[in-house]
Amino acid sequence: MKMEEKHLSGPDNTRLEVILPRTDFFVFIFAYLIPVLHFVLFILQALIQDVYSELVEDACLGLCFEVHRAVKQGYFFLDETDQDSIKEFEIVDQPGVDIFGQVFNQWKNKECECPNCKRLIAASRFAPHLEKCLGMGRNSSRIANRRLATNNNISKSESDQEDNDDLNDNDWSYGAEKKAKKRRPDKNQNSPRRSKSLKHKNGELGTSVSLDPYKYNYNAGISYESLGPNEIRSLLTTQCGVISEHTKKMCTRSHRCPQHTDDQRRTIRLLLLGPSAPTLPDADVEGDSFDIPNGQALLSRLQWEDFPDVSPTDSASSKASTNYSDSKRPKKKKRLDVSLISGGGGVNMTGVSSSSCQSSISLSTKKKKPKTAAPSVSSIYDELN
Amino acid sequence: MVVVFSLFDADRLPNLARSGISPTNTMNKEARLKASINQKLTETGERDRLKELLRAKLTECGWKDQMKAQCKDVIKQKGLEHVTVEDLVVEVTPKGRALVPDSVKKELLQRIRAFLTQHAS
Repeated sequence: MKMEEKHLSGPDNTRLEVILPRTDFFVFIFAYLIPVLHFVLFILQALIQDVYSELVEDACLGLCFEVHRAVKQGYFFLDETDQDSIKEFEIVDQPGVDIFGQVFNQWKNKECECPNCKRLIAASRFAPHLEKCLGMGRNSSRIANRRLATNNNISKSESDQEDNDDLNDNDWSYGAEKKAKKRRPDKNQNSPRRSKSLKHKNGELGTSVSLDPYKYNYNAGISYESLGPNEIRSLLTTQCGVISEHTKKMCTRSHRCPQHTDDQRRTIRLLLLGPSAPTLPDADVEGDSFDIPNGQALLSRLQWEDFPDVSPTDSASSKASTNYSDSKRPKKKKRLDVSLISGGGGVNMTGVSSSSCQSSISLSTKKKKPKTAAPSVSSIYDELN
Repeated sequence: MVVVFSLFDADRLPNLARSGISPTNTMNKEARLKASINQKLTETGERDRLKELLRAKLTECGWKDQMKAQCKDVIKQKGLEHVTVEDLVVEVTPKGRALVPDSVKKELLQRIRAFLTQHAS
């Protein structure tokens, strides 16, 4: 059609004559091509079929060769055996039984008698039970150590418990704390991260708070509050004794322990034993220089460390006495209460910082601090007096 | 129309037009076409791919195991020692052709057609 239009541009009789044969030609071509088209499609289809059947025959032939070789080599009938064996190893298809005919968890219900404690234990629980019972596995020693540590603390802290309010107050009772602590997985205790942060923060003045001060509770160390003054003195003469921020325990390493400096050791001795106490074998007492210029910083540091506060006005002896007489109290509460008393007395800053310290610690331990702080203040005053 | 022109050379159409659609001519054309297609299949590696595809599909659908059972029958019939390749081929191939599942057949045909339309010279 397009070609016709082109020729129409020049109206010529001769041109018009050309047009007609053109149309005729097209019709002719069209009529001619249809059978060809048909034919071509046919051929195409036939070709496709040819290719396909060739492929299939190839596959069949391949199979025949394979079978024939297997027959001639003698391994064609290898998978067949005698009837008896076939019956014996037939696939089982019954409910409750696997394809071999075995019952699933058949031994689950069996009970075994533990040779140690003579109890009947379920079979699947037998191995872990034995581990704990004999005290030989990895976990059992860990648990035993933990139990020893907490038993020590509990027995010491509960030894002179006078105020039942504190015990009944679940927020602050040591047992609840322990439970909350226990939920943390064991793996946190000995991770390298933990020891690294300990190295950085141990005994440093005014360092950042670990929001969860009881995260690292079971470090190797001694809790100073459970010891009498003589014991502390003897300990301090032999050991480093610097109290870790995280665990609130004394370092049990030697005087030359790399984690703590001599200054820290001096400070500790001063705090625990009073300014008159004997000091490190190789250092002088410089307690005053620590107290007075860094009063505020020291206060905050000591709060984080859960010390009884070293306020500039308090004497070391009163501090020491609060130490020992309040040993029964749950650690955290006692410290903060004491800090409240000593800080709240004259220094506003301390009070603010203590409350902030309280709130941060309360965040981490989810305990109602403000409520407990007020009533116990009076009680601690009593004790102090 | 365009498709047709693409399938045939420009010169072939005039040839056809000139000589007409005689049986010999078509047969020749067909043979030539077939040869060229076979060549194309082998050259591009499509034939091997198709073979592998077919083999995999037949094994997967269980055709091979059926055929092996048939072969076992033939062997038992003819005797283990004296069975020949020819025996197997003659007995087993027609059954094999018939036992190919429709899905496999359709897929293969489709692939071949796709190849041909793609590579038609």
